[in-house]
Parts: sequence; C-alpha cells; structure tokens
Amino acid sequence: MMAPAAPVIRVDGVSRWFGSVVAVSDVTFDVTPGITGLLGPNGAGKTTLLRMMTGLADVSSGSVKVFGQSVRDNPPLYQRMGVMSEHESVYGFMKGREFVRMMAKLHGMERIDEAVDRAIDLVDLADAQHRPMRTYSRGMRQRMRLAGTLVHDPELLILDEPLNGADPRQRVHFKRLLQKLAAEGRTIVLSSHILEEVEELADTVLLIVNGKLAASGEFHAIRAALNQRAYHVKVVCSDPRGLASAAVGLSSVDAVHVDPDGGVLILSRNVLDVQVELPRLAQAGGISLRRVEPLDDSLESVFGYLVEG
Amino acid sequence: MTTQLTAAAESGQPPVRTGTVFDIGYRSYTGEREGLNRSRLAVYKDGIRIALGFGRGGRAKILPWFFIGVLAFIGLIMAIVAGAANRIGGPEAAEQLPSHGDYYSIAAIIIFIFAAIVAPELLCRDRREGTINLYLVRPLTGGDYIAARWAAFLTITVAAAWLPQIILFLGLSMGDPDPIGYLRLHWLDIPRFLAAGIVMAAYATTVAMLVAAFTLRRAYASVFLVGLFVITTPFTIGMASEIGGAAGEWISMFNLADIPLYVVDLIFGKPSMLTKDIPAVHLPATTLILWYLAWTLIPGAVLWWRYRRLSP
Amino acid sequence: MGAVYSLTLRQLSGKWRLVIMTVLAALPVLIAVLMLHSAHASSVKNFEDVVLSTMLAGSIAPLVVLAIGAAAFANEVEDRTLANLTLAPIPRWKIVLPKLLATITIAGPFVAVSALLTSYVAFLGDARAVLAVTMSALVGVALYASAFVWLGLVSTQAIGLGLLYIVLWEGFFSGFVSGIRLLSIRYYAIGLMHGLDPRRFATGNNVSFGAAIALCAVVFAGFLLLAVRRLRRMDVP
Repeated sequence: MMAPAAPVIRVDGVSRWFGSVVAVSDVTFDVTPGITGLLGPNGAGKTTLLRMMTGLADVSSGSVKVFGQSVRDNPPLYQRMGVMSEHESVYGFMKGREFVRMMAKLHGMERIDEAVDRAIDLVDLADAQHRPMRTYSRGMRQRMRLAGTLVHDPELLILDEPLNGADPRQRVHFKRLLQKLAAEGRTIVLSSHILEEVEELADTVLLIVNGKLAASGEFHAIRAALNQRAYHVKVVCSDPRGLASAAVGLSSVDAVHVDPDGGVLILSRNVLDVQVELPRLAQAGGISLRRVEPLDDSLESVFGYLVEG
Repeated sequence: MTTQLTAAAESGQPPVRTGTVFDIGYRSYTGEREGLNRSRLAVYKDGIRIALGFGRGGRAKILPWFFIGVLAFIGLIMAIVAGAANRIGGPEAAEQLPSHGDYYSIAAIIIFIFAAIVAPELLCRDRREGTINLYLVRPLTGGDYIAARWAAFLTITVAAAWLPQIILFLGLSMGDPDPIGYLRLHWLDIPRFLAAGIVMAAYATTVAMLVAAFTLRRAYASVFLVGLFVITTPFTIGMASEIGGAAGEWISMFNLADIPLYVVDLIFGKPSMLTKDIPAVHLPATTLILWYLAWTLIPGAVLWWRYRRLSP
Repeated sequence: MGAVYSLTLRQLSGKWRLVIMTVLAALPVLIAVLMLHSAHASSVKNFEDVVLSTMLAGSIAPLVVLAIGAAAFANEVEDRTLANLTLAPIPRWKIVLPKLLATITIAGPFVAVSALLTSYVAFLGDARAVLAVTMSALVGVALYASAFVWLGLVSTQAIGLGLLYIVLWEGFFSGFVSGIRLLSIRYYAIGLMHGLDPRRFATGNNVSFGAAIALCAVVFAGFLLLAVRRLRRMDVP
C-alpha cells in the first residue's frame, strides 16, 4: 500500500498578531489536491491566513510549508503557485492582454502568446482583451486577474474572495472553471464568507472564526455534527425562575440557564417539542410569555456553536 | 427575526417554516434636524482632524506636529537669543536682533512646506478614493465642501503662524528687565503679528490647496508645491540680479516664496532682515499689496470654481 | 526584469509630469544664458554656488527624482498592486533594480540635458567642464534615485520625509555645517564635479574626489541593498 501523498500545503501551529490584536491563533491543517474552502465571517482572519500561506505576510509563530518548502522568501516556489488577492486594483492604463502577458513574462514563460490566449479564453474575455482595464466592469477585472493568475498553469491556486462582486452568470462560469481545474488534479484554496458558495464548490471546508480553526472536513459532515448539538431558545417571561424549574422537567430539554437580566435560555435538541410544551407550561404556571426566540438561524450562531463547543 | 415551527411536523411531514417580523420598537429619528451650517461645520471639523492627524494613529501626526514644533522652536530660539543679548549688551543690543517682523521671512519656507504636505491630505484623498461623493450626495455643495476645508486649513495655519510669535513675544517681554514696560512700549507688535500671521497663512493655504485640487496623488501635489516655492527663489534672485533695474524688480516679484512677505513688511513698517536686499521691496506699497491679493484671491477663485463644478 | 522596467516606465511617465519636469530643467539653462549676456560676468564661484549647487544639485534634481523615485514603489503599495510583482518567481533584486533604473531613465535625461546646456552656455563650450557638470549631475540623480526608491518602499510618508531631507538637510544644514557634507548627496556630486575638472572649479571646502567616488558607490549600493532587504521582509499589501 502506498504511503499517503504529502500534503500540498502544511500549516502548523500558525499564529499572527499585530501588536496586541491576535488575527490568527494556533491554526494547524493540511491542504490536499481538490478544492478547499476557507469559510468564516468577515474579520475572522481568513485573509491574514491566506496571506501567510502565500508568503505575502510573515507568521508570528508556527510554519507554513508549500510543496514541502517554506513559502516565505522563496520566490522560485511561485512558479508552481497562482495567487489572487482580495484587492481589486489593477493597472488601469494597461490593456487586459498586456496585463496577462506581463504576468506570463514575470513567470518566465516561453510561448507567451499561446499561454495568454488560452488563459483569456478560459475566462471568456477575448473580446475585451484589447481595452484598458480601467474601462472594465468589476466582474471583468476579477476575471482578467484570474487569467493573469492562471496563465502560467500553476498546480496550486490560492484565491481570496474570488467571487466578490461577480454577477450570477459569472458565478456559474467561475464555478465550472474551478471545478474543471480541480478535476485536472490541481489544488485550489479559496476563501469566502458565503456559506452556499463554499457548500457547492469545496470538497473540504476549513471554518475560521475569530482567528481559530473551528471546524474542518467535509461540509455536510460538519452540518450533521451541528445537528447533534443542542439548540438555544431564549424566553422572556414574567416569572423566569418559575418557568425555568418547570422547563427542566421536560424530557426534551437538556439544560436551562437563567440570565441575570431575567431571560431564560433553554437548550434542547428538539425545538419542536419545546415550542409545543412551553406555552402549556406557562399557562399551567400562570406565567405570561413575552418572547420566545430560537437563536440559531443566523450564520453567526452556527459559528458560535463551534467556537463555544 | 423569529421562525416558528408549526404543528404540521407532528403529522410526519417536513416542517413548514414561516417567517414573521415583530415590531421591536424601531423608530425613525424625530429629533431636531440642524441645518446646512451644521454639515458645513462637520466638514470643517473633519478637516482639522485630518490635517493634524487626529484619530489616525501616531504616524499621521508626526509630520504636521513636527512642523508646528519647528516653527515654535524658531520663535523660542529668537526669544532666548534676544534675552541673552539683553543681559549682555542691554536693550539696545536686543533691538538689533531679528524680531517679530523678521520671523516670517525666516520661517516662511517651513510654513510653505507644511502647507505643501498637509493640503493634499485634505483634498486629494477624498477625490482619489471617491469619498467626496459621500459629501456631494448630501445637501452640501462642492462649494460648501471646499470652503469648509479651506477654512479648516486656514485655522490651523494661522494657529501655527501665531503660536511662535506669541512665544516670541512672551519671551521678549519676560527677558526684558521690565516686562510691563516692554509690554507698554511694544503692545503694537501684537496686532501686527496677528495680522501678519493671517497674511502668511491665507496665501500658503490658498496656493497649496489650489495645487492639491488639480491632482489626485498627494505626492505629486506636495513636490510640485515645494518645487514652486523652493526653486523660484534662487531662479528669480539669479535672474533679477543679472538683469537689474526695474525689470529686475518685477522679476523678483515672481519669487513666490516672498509675495506675502512684502505685505508683512508693510504691516511692520520696515523691510525685514531677509527681504531688504530684494529689489522688489522698492516697488510702491499699493503694487505689493495688489500683487499679494492677486496671488491669493485668484487662486482662491479658481479653487472655488473647480470644486463648485463637482457633482457626485 | 524587462517586464518590471517597462511597467515602471509606463507608471511613472504621465504627460503633465513630463511637461513640469521640462520646465524645471529649463530654468538653470535660462539663467546661464542670461548670465552670459549680462554686462557684468559673475564669478565661477558665484555661478557654481547659485546655479549649480543650489538650483540644480540642491533643488531641481532631488525634487524631480523624489517625485519619480518615491512613486516607483509608493504608488504600488498605495494601489495594492505590488503583490503582482512579489508573487512572481524572481529574486527580489530583480524587482528593485528595474524600478530604480526606470526612475533614473525618466529623471536622468531631464537633469542631464539641463546640466549639459547650462554648463555649455556658462563655460563657453569647454568640453571638460561640461562633462564634469553633466556626469556629476547624472551621478547625483542615480544616488537620489536609490535613496528615494528605498524611501518610497519603506514609508507611507515618503514624500514629506523626502522634502524635509531635501530642504532641511541638503538645502540648509549641509550649506552651513561642513561635516554634514560628508553625508550629503549634493556634496558628493559637487565633489565629483570638482574632481573631474579641477582647473575650472577652485576647490572649496568640498569632499575630495576619491572620497566622493567611494561614498557615491557606497550610497548607491547601500540603498539598493536596503530596498531589496525590505522587500524580502515586509508584509506586502
């Protein structure tokens, strides 16, 4: 039996702080061929982590190895990597084709025109390639930048929020393109804060919250794991303690907290049951319910579980 | 937003999720709305903040405060030297030294560089990054914006021009063995240097902002301004001394760094140490004043015109 | 390297910038012409002090180079396009050196032609004097370029700091305090000029020829190396 292939990217105990602000905290994971999605709310540290993975930023501690070598201060490695940062700025005065040509030259390519044509066709911008990039729409700029990233045919692609500002048609095109590239054996790492995108594209998901790696693995498996967790229901009523002691008696309730401000937090894995029983308990105890709120439908609370869990 | 699972789930079918929005007491603003002047004031205050680097961390504060420090320092040195001369040689010796009237000819270049570096911060950023539109989509006009920014920068430059003079005055009066006597003799200096400060500041502010209004990158604006002030000096001096005569006087008028200084001299009644050798000093007072006004009002008008036409 | 070089050339040459540089470069030439035709010829020392030392080497050359050189990297950092270059599999010096050369390519001709014409007119076509002035002006441009390209990479306040350096250090202090001349690019250039044509330029309190050459080399290479080091170690936006 063959030993498992070495990971394309190995991130080991990586942290990054800026003064007293910790942006990334002790993150460890491996990236293998296929599409890996870096998911997390804005400000979670995804961009900082990606910049460290591409060698654009330094780590405060830990190490990042790409293809087995340290990525920092190692220019030859970029031959095999294509990186697209989140900044949308381009050289406005350059024509699209000139930009891709420049990227090809910088990567030391030989048959430049061929490669440039291929890259521009991949992103479907052949008609606009002779116009200056300042005349491009936002989506076109992203695509031309992607062409510049792909022109040297890299094995590893690292894309920071590549679907930012793309319209639905472009999204579809982009996704198909990434899937095709991945099917050819490449490794693609892309970051996004949009759950659905990552769900559709990524084989592996890395969930980053507050600078920490909160979950990793296959998307649906993570979702299922979430379903094992208790949901929170917040109740505001006229007699918190009375309701709390009644709720504890329900078999569907795992735990009950009473907040100092008088709110009651009910943890249950069967919200449906709680929704039915709660009014009955309240009526029996002569308690009036002012508010009943399941706290779990926002993305933040999904992330919240994983962080607290 | 709250979601409720209905009892349909009990019948074995998948739960039907409905959505309801509750009234949690959102209210729109019903307080007093202050008028246009309040927004102008806001742009003004913001201009002061930007110029002095408040709210933007340490690095943004270094340059402006450094210049203010240098200006104050020059005033301080002058005061100390005068005090020392007073002790050693008596009040007559102190009279010979550079005083309020000479301060601006010494410090002019610092004021201009200060303007060259700070003015672009006030104007270029907003146009380059597009944030000017945040102002223009409000009841503010482009003219309101530039007037408020100009006023903010003028305030700062005037303060920077007054501070060293105040230090100098305090130093001179306290260095004198009879401070009250000094005050009584020299109290006229106070309105003089206050007026002179405004003259210097108005010119520096307006010209600097004019250049900044025509370029998007702060760097080019700053270098161009400094180039204007720094290079015209040896150039016009060289040409004026070569050509001489009346033509020479007019050529030295194009020494942009000196234009306000002639008016300052007029305020103080005598040419300062550094300007007395310049041929232009011999021109009649009205000419000098009109020249100054031309170089302040015309740039001001162009500045106004440039921003008035801006729309989001 | 060629790609970075041509990119930088395009980035830094704009129509208005070139016009302004032409105007600036023409000023010393004008003065020289005037001085020649005026009734009283000023002494070489006077001309050297006012026109060559102050205007050309002390103001025009450094200001022009500052505007171009600081922008070479500062614009990329500000626009966040520097990553396009640093993510290429080329050694960092192949990014810095072409930027530096592009700066010299743009600023050099203006200063060189200005120096050439000024000295040609002033010294009545004396080849050696013209060569001395022009060469030292070019070396001055190269040195300022190296320093300001580094400054533009290192600081977001590059222009302000550069202006302070030019006006206070080069313009003011080095004129008064002789020791500072050993640390002043302007005086390296002047020292070179004196060394290349000693008969024409009476030696004043200047940097000696040998010392000037050595210091020029050190300064040029030094800032270049500092810029490469910085590029390797910085966090690229």
